[in-house]
Amino acid sequence: MAGSDLYTGTLDVLILKALSGGAMHGYGIGLWIRRSTQEVLQVQEGALYPALHRLARRGWLDEEWGVSETGRDAKYYRLTTVGRRQLREEMMRWTRYSLAVTAALNASPA
Amino acid sequence: MKRRFRLVTPFRVRPDVAGEIDFHMEMRARELIAAGMPPEEARREAAARFGDVGAVTAACEATRQGQLRERERADLLRDLWQDIGFAARTLRKTPVFTVAAVLTLAFGIGANTAIFSVISGVLLRPLPYEHGDRLLTVTQPDGATGAPDMAFSALEVADYRDRSHSLDALAEYHSMAFTLLGHGDPMRVQTGVVSASYFDVMGIRPLLGRTFREGEDAKGAAPVLVLSYEFWQHAFGGDPTIVGRTFEMNDRVHTVVGVLPPIPQEPDQNDVFMPISSCPFRSSPQMADKREMRMVNIFARLRPGASVVDARRDLTATSSELHRAHPESFPNGSRFSVTASLLRDEMTRRARPTFLVLLATAGFVLLIACANVANLTLARRLQRQRELAVRAALGAGRGRIFRQLMTESTLLALAGGVAGLLVAIQLTPMLIGFAARFTPRAQEISIDWRVLAFTFVVSLACGVALGSLPGLADRQNLVSGLKDGSAASTSGRSGRRIRGALIVSQVAIAFVLLIGAGLMLRSFVNLVRVNPGFDPERVLTARVDLNWTRYDSTAKVRAFTNALLARLGETPGVVAVASASSFPLNHVQPFANTFLIEGRFVPKGEPQPSADAQAVSPEYFTALGIPLLRGRVFTETDRDGAEEVAVVTAGLARRYWRDREPIGERITFDEGKHWVRIVGVVGDVKQYGLEQEPTAGIYVPFDISPVNDLRVVIESRGDPAALEQRLRAATRDLDGMQPVTEVETLVRLRDDSLASPRLTTLLLGSFAALALLITTAGLAGVITFSVSQRTREIGIRMALGAERMSVLALVLRQGLGLVAIGLVLGVGGALLMTRLISGLLFQVRASDPLTFAAVALVLLMVGILACLAPARRAATVDPTIALKGA
Repeated sequence: MAGSDLYTGTLDVLILKALSGGAMHGYGIGLWIRRSTQEVLQVQEGALYPALHRLARRGWLDEEWGVSETGRDAKYYRLTTVGRRQLREEMMRWTRYSLAVTAALNASPA
Repeated sequence: MKRRFRLVTPFRVRPDVAGEIDFHMEMRARELIAAGMPPEEARREAAARFGDVGAVTAACEATRQGQLRERERADLLRDLWQDIGFAARTLRKTPVFTVAAVLTLAFGIGANTAIFSVISGVLLRPLPYEHGDRLLTVTQPDGATGAPDMAFSALEVADYRDRSHSLDALAEYHSMAFTLLGHGDPMRVQTGVVSASYFDVMGIRPLLGRTFREGEDAKGAAPVLVLSYEFWQHAFGGDPTIVGRTFEMNDRVHTVVGVLPPIPQEPDQNDVFMPISSCPFRSSPQMADKREMRMVNIFARLRPGASVVDARRDLTATSSELHRAHPESFPNGSRFSVTASLLRDEMTRRARPTFLVLLATAGFVLLIACANVANLTLARRLQRQRELAVRAALGAGRGRIFRQLMTESTLLALAGGVAGLLVAIQLTPMLIGFAARFTPRAQEISIDWRVLAFTFVVSLACGVALGSLPGLADRQNLVSGLKDGSAASTSGRSGRRIRGALIVSQVAIAFVLLIGAGLMLRSFVNLVRVNPGFDPERVLTARVDLNWTRYDSTAKVRAFTNALLARLGETPGVVAVASASSFPLNHVQPFANTFLIEGRFVPKGEPQPSADAQAVSPEYFTALGIPLLRGRVFTETDRDGAEEVAVVTAGLARRYWRDREPIGERITFDEGKHWVRIVGVVGDVKQYGLEQEPTAGIYVPFDISPVNDLRVVIESRGDPAALEQRLRAATRDLDGMQPVTEVETLVRLRDDSLASPRLTTLLLGSFAALALLITTAGLAGVITFSVSQRTREIGIRMALGAERMSVLALVLRQGLGLVAIGLVLGVGGALLMTRLISGLLFQVRASDPLTFAAVALVLLMVGILACLAPARRAATVDPTIALKGA
């Protein structure tokens, strides 16, 4: 189900990253994640939405209705100041984590 | 900012989430179509990639609902804060109303807080003993004479200890005065004589040192003392090195081993405690071995889970066994039984009825206060009708306006509560002094968390009650409020009815309270006027409790007493001086001495005649002004060795001789070993309290039956207090080691015995006066307001030719009509309520017609006064102005 193929918390950091360039609607965020991960991460696309609402509730995202590029009403999400700080922290943590795992995988077994 | 957001996009969860998902699906399908998929397939594919729409929607909604609740909570807090700020501003804008309302509530809540602090400290708190709720006092009443407690002998104590299964532990106790030497002047100390286990049974831990150890009450154990906290503070200034100090008592050296914490003591306020082995009487062979030598009380602790009823059953069974096994140890014709009651009830038995009456009274005062504030609020609300109507028109919901009004009244009540707390804090020291006359637990009274919680709850309840008054946020009123001047006429009827009902209930309650106070006052006046049978004026009394170890024979006591009386008799200004074993209003308990009359036979099972006997010297009757009715009083010749004589009270003569003459008859107190001839009859004396019936008493000559615990009464020509120095000097000259205590004028003792009814009357009277004041102000306010509302109507009447007098009568009739209805209801209420205080009354019936008539008259007069000013204003209304204006 939601996020089953993703490492826990990965979806959150990807959403924050997607929004670091400016406000986007849910579909746009999903599209960005698919493109930038070269569609490697296979997710149920619906899993994105509970995550968006959760982040909004934590105060990391602001939400606002606007008009989309196709002329339809769409809900846009935007990083708050807290969300931006959170993104920095998550990115650092992720880098440390992946470096550590990479280093371990490259080392020769004892 | 959040609020703006909410106004533009109101929270509609489902459409919000659904819209978002629809948008996603559509965009995804477009993307797939653009990549070359047929539209139908593209839509299916988009849905498949999205996953379970229902589950996603539900998850989003759950998140948003949580958020919604948080926001609502924040909104609520902010609204409340806004409401409070707004209420405070509104109240500040009408300072007269606010101050009047807060003051009224402050008196009402303050009175309740103060009285509740007494109830809480005395009746609600657990005893400050470890097992306070399981402690019992065990008593042995005599059904034949009605004596409440004949006490127990040492052997009986042992039997009850062994045979009572429902009791955990049992300790014996009695209290005597001894002389303590080794710290300045000789001190007469009240001494609790107890078994070594007493403090453990009672669950009292020492503040300093220790209490008694097992075996310290055994014969031959080294004498030890435990000091009470009060005595330690008072006599030794709280000396922390007191433990280990030694004092001489009864010719033996006693070592202080501990000091008690401040605890209420029952039944005596003892200065020191000693184990039974140290008491020269309790350890005498007579006391230790004779079943009929009853001198000690029993305290016991219930076994966990056992009830007082279990204990009583056990004790009664043992009592019957003892009656069967030792019939000779019970006096002829007596009906001894044994019972037990909880110590905490016993400590507050005298206090409970008075305190509960005071609490009820305070509650009534609060009701009146609330009714008054309600009336003020209603009047003010009418004047604010336009404001409220405008706010309603501008979109404030009814709920919102209701909440606003509720906040206002609650704020008002809480302010009243805070002010009331200040009132209560002022009253507390006075109330502690008052309560101390009823219970040893008075020192536990304080404004503690319980009292604070009570005040808070009462204030809150007042606020809510005021805020939810009917007709305040009335829809009709709000609508009609916009139609300008018509407001008064439409809202008038229901508003007037509520205001009238409030005034009627105020008058009714005030009537009940005034009746209560009036009855107490009548009762008090009766008490002051009652003929006590003696004349307390210009009499000095004192206690010269001769040290038992040094005055160990009647000859020594007799020699000292005669020498002292001779010296005092020579003093200029002394009219009469006498020695006595007791005197009126002294705190000595009555003691029924049984006797037999010569030539009369008391059938088996019939109670023997009994009387309260006192030993007095010849001038006793002169000094106290007790009238001689027949025969003679004692003379100098009625001394040791002469024929034994007695003087009886008129009451005793009536009871046992009816219309026959007792003078010349002989009686015996010891079944015929000594015969005593009656030589005189004197007037009845209220020996044990002005509110009590005179005691049937017998007087015997002091010289024939001297007692160590000697009382001296001196009648003076002038101020009796001036004789104190002379008495002390005369005693010191005779014996430098002999303390003189309890030096008091008899007038002061009389006043002291009136103090608790006087204070109760004063308290009830103050409450009633407060109630009357508040009610009067309320009535005046309501009538004034109604006149101002009816100015137009009155103007029309006058324009149509109404006389000024008839306008005056109109207003008076309206006011007094309310008072009259209130009076009728009040009479009913008073007849129901005053039964509760009938136990506190002395020679007044609870339905005393004089009091009822007087109170009704007072209320009526006050009612007229309250209506007169507004009525006169109404009568001077200028019709032209009234019709143009308004």
